[in-house]
Amino acid sequence: MTRQDFITRLRAGLGGLPPTTVAEIVGDYETHFAEALAAGRSEAEVAAALGDPERLARELRAEAGLKRWEAERNPSAAASAVFAVLGLGAIDVLILLPILLSIGGTILGFFIAAVAMFGVGGVLMVAGPFLVHTAPAAALILAGLGVMALGTSFGALATIASVGCTNALVWYGRLHLRLLKPALEPQGTAT
Amino acid sequence: MAEAVQIQLKKGVLELCVLALLSRGDAYGYEIASRLAEGIGMGEGTIYPLMRRMQADGLVATYLVESPTGPPRKYYRLTDEGRSAYELQKTEWSAFSAAVDAILGGAQ
Repeated sequence: MTRQDFITRLRAGLGGLPPTTVAEIVGDYETHFAEALAAGRSEAEVAAALGDPERLARELRAEAGLKRWEAERNPSAAASAVFAVLGLGAIDVLILLPILLSIGGTILGFFIAAVAMFGVGGVLMVAGPFLVHTAPAAALILAGLGVMALGTSFGALATIASVGCTNALVWYGRLHLRLLKPALEPQGTAT
Repeated sequence: MAEAVQIQLKKGVLELCVLALLSRGDAYGYEIASRLAEGIGMGEGTIYPLMRRMQADGLVATYLVESPTGPPRKYYRLTDEGRSAYELQKTEWSAFSAAVDAILGGAQ
């Protein structure tokens, strides 16, 4: 692999990151090539010692995704952190997928229940006194308010649960990123 | 199997090695990469993601120095936080490796 090939593949793998970050990372590897060539090594030799550019790009992207989740706690950052960790291959997707799907499904169910209860409570509170004449209006309004409050707390619980799950996944992914999964195997075992 | 164990061991102590290297003086990326590749047989490319992570964690800071041969060199230096992380990790490592040695010695 030539220097140009390496840089092109690295750049392609880093797509989606902010341009300044990509420029910095590519700059690091460009400088590495320049230093190594000045020291009398060949481009192919240096590229082989650096390792698989796609794999390096995956680790760099994963790190960026995790940082973003730590900086801004919103659903899109959570999604990018989860995908970054999965993309890293740090977690066996086949084992994790059923667990993720069931946890995700449960949390989604909670959200839907929360929205539904909020809606039902609202209808009960506003329309109840006009539609139901067998119960006192004040009781219906209070009951409606109660159901809405319950819906809100369901929603809050579901939010806390999803933040917690994302944190757990990020923590687990990080642990693997740091200790178990090298960005590339040492020279000679690189794939 | 033996190879997989070796890779994990290296990966675990890589950060400690970088901290140790920088505690003896500032160094630029290529220097760190070649020292570690030579010393513990680490893939050279692994250094750069690690350096970015350590920089993001506030353990190292960077500055540029003109190079006589090529593009400016990005030098890394330990921050105060990096220095205390080094002391802590070094103590942990010494205790851990002494404990492992004791067990290995005892098993013979």
